[in-house]
Amino acid sequence: MKLSPALQARGISRRGFLRASAALGAAGLVGGCTATAAPPGATKITIWSWLTGMDKYVAAFNAAQKDVFVELRVIAAGLSGGYAQQTNAIRAHNAPDVLHVEYQGLPQILLTGGLRDLTADMADLESQYSPAAWRGVRPDGRTWGVPMDLAPMVFYYRKDLFDQHGIALPRTWDEFRTAAAAVKQIDPQARICSFPLNDGSFFAGMSWQAGDPWWTAQGDTWAVDIAGEGTLRTASYWQSMITGNQVAGVVYGSQDWIAGIHDGKLWGVLGASWSVGTLNRSIPKDTGRWAVATMPTWDGKPANGIQGGTAWGVSAESKNPEAAMTFLRWLSTNPEVPKIGSAFSTPFPAHLPNRAVARQAYKGGFFLGDPVYDVLDEAAKRVPDWTWGPNALRLFSTISDSFGPVRSGGTTLPDALRKVQQHAVADMRTRGLSVREGKSA
Amino acid sequence: MSVLAPERTTPREAPRNVPVTARARKKDFAGAVLAVPFAILLLCTVLVPVAYALYLSLFTERLQGLGFSGPENVFVWLGNYLSVIVDSAFHASLGNVALFALIHIPSMLIGSLVLALLLDSGVVRLKQMWSLAVFVPYAVPVVIGGLIWAYLYSPTIGPIKGLFGIDALSDGAILPSIANIATWQWVGYNMIIFYTALQAVPREIVEAARADGAGGFRTAWSIKIPVIRPTIFVAAVFTVIGSLQVFTEPMVLKGFTGTVTSTWSPSMYVYEAAFVAGDNGRAAAASVLLAVICALLSAVVMRFSTRRS
Repeated sequence: MKLSPALQARGISRRGFLRASAALGAAGLVGGCTATAAPPGATKITIWSWLTGMDKYVAAFNAAQKDVFVELRVIAAGLSGGYAQQTNAIRAHNAPDVLHVEYQGLPQILLTGGLRDLTADMADLESQYSPAAWRGVRPDGRTWGVPMDLAPMVFYYRKDLFDQHGIALPRTWDEFRTAAAAVKQIDPQARICSFPLNDGSFFAGMSWQAGDPWWTAQGDTWAVDIAGEGTLRTASYWQSMITGNQVAGVVYGSQDWIAGIHDGKLWGVLGASWSVGTLNRSIPKDTGRWAVATMPTWDGKPANGIQGGTAWGVSAESKNPEAAMTFLRWLSTNPEVPKIGSAFSTPFPAHLPNRAVARQAYKGGFFLGDPVYDVLDEAAKRVPDWTWGPNALRLFSTISDSFGPVRSGGTTLPDALRKVQQHAVADMRTRGLSVREGKSA
Repeated sequence: MSVLAPERTTPREAPRNVPVTARARKKDFAGAVLAVPFAILLLCTVLVPVAYALYLSLFTERLQGLGFSGPENVFVWLGNYLSVIVDSAFHASLGNVALFALIHIPSMLIGSLVLALLLDSGVVRLKQMWSLAVFVPYAVPVVIGGLIWAYLYSPTIGPIKGLFGIDALSDGAILPSIANIATWQWVGYNMIIFYTALQAVPREIVEAARADGAGGFRTAWSIKIPVIRPTIFVAAVFTVIGSLQVFTEPMVLKGFTGTVTSTWSPSMYVYEAAFVAGDNGRAAAASVLLAVICALLSAVVMRFSTRRS
């Protein structure tokens, strides 16, 4: 029988594909694990993480003591697969001892029932953490995680251009609107910043500042308030900025965005503390142009949102929870860690004494104006109460899906958010959760 | 697979009468042994996962209160299927791939057929160079191809906006933009298949047609296309299945624009359910439904093809 050309072609490509995937798998196994062997007698624990530089922290910990040996497996970042991998491992009863959770993802991971209650283990550390981080690992008043870093949102702006054209740094959102108009008038191609619509965690951070948390754990019930007063005020404000063509729409970190900030078409960035690293990496030659400031406020009362931030959880089925906690206490509170991190990033630890270490180690030189760590510190202090819900990660994609038609005028941000609220409530109820709509009592 | 290979007009040799001998039985045994690796792979990578997906699709994780006490796995009969069938996001994803297929399938099949006929007709010089040039996009990994196109589409740094004045990533243009990437990727691949089939068209029929005064167009339309019709139908079946399962192109563009939703195509719907929402039951039910739709559509196309030929 003559083999069809179609099948011949398929056969080759499939075989090639299998070979390629086998090679990839092997590379993943080799590359994903740290290679050094455990010293005899040490308790071995495993950690899955996607934190940049985690290999360096783990190597330093393994070198510093002989009792606990940590084996690191690097996994895909968050929603790119990391959460799915960890959730499935918990379901399959082969989770690592230590899991990577972000504050925003912690309640969703908790739905698997796979995390150990760390309330007693962590009780002595409360006073050493930034209150926002401490609340972040205690969604229901029990401690479920060990905070690592914090990511308060700030406003990065082209101080050189603002000064040159006599635009004052906006302190309120009303002033921000005036400044946006001024930027556009000076250069019709330029905008004060981009307001990306495809990033739910960004919008959540912007809404956080308004002081109406999207979720609150009330006893045994979730109060869900995604279309609350503060959030709708945020949404209406940005809707008018979009309708008036006062802000750009490019996606944060994209080539368009990098080109925009480098060419002076974007005079500012609404970002989190980790944007310090993004700016340093994306536009290393733009030294001496940018400055950092706390976010403009709604009514002059200081307030700031948060976007992201890492914490660690211990598996409920871990055989060595004490060893895991030994490692996590080191990782979260040992001054060595921010020193190591400062070599390749700009860490902003949740642990306050460690933040002082990071501030000392910060090289500086890129930004004008107020010292970066002063601004970030101030921003971190201004964070209002907030609880992430058990569907936060999924909600981020619901938000960006609903915001898709906003730019073409198909819907408005407030309308989209009302739909998101309905969707979220229905989704949570379908899963059997106890839900109450509206503001917490 | 004789559907694929065009029948030769020359009569075949009549099969010789061979008595069943020990040698033949040994041959059967050898055949069985050689089939074992395939059977194991089929079992482990297709049959077992399919069975497991069917099993998963009947269960869901039920929580209570705040949900922190962990889930309880409950049997819900066809509840997951029902929730997928009534989900407007799933309907939207089907609508998207239907429109995508409407643009992609005709343009890709006609494009590759025309290119294959041109190559076969002998009017093209530097045949190998051209066929390689058209085939190269298929050799580019889909993710890389998607990224390249995404940069070309980007309104501020890509050339498309300047050349044609349209924002290829905007609400109205995103569907043709995605279809364009897929067509670009697959035209060369199908062209090679059609060209190979055309090589097998008996030269004597073509010559006879030419002797009867048929020109290039007439020969292509009345002789070549009818002879390779079975190949075209098989390519159509693969393209229909591929269109239904489109995933990588919209997934890549999603990073560049908010107009691609996280449930843009049925495959993305499955991905969202499994890896973002963490709802394995609904993901399994949606994949089973998608597989059933694929099978039905392929059956329709195959039925159509056998009736025509």
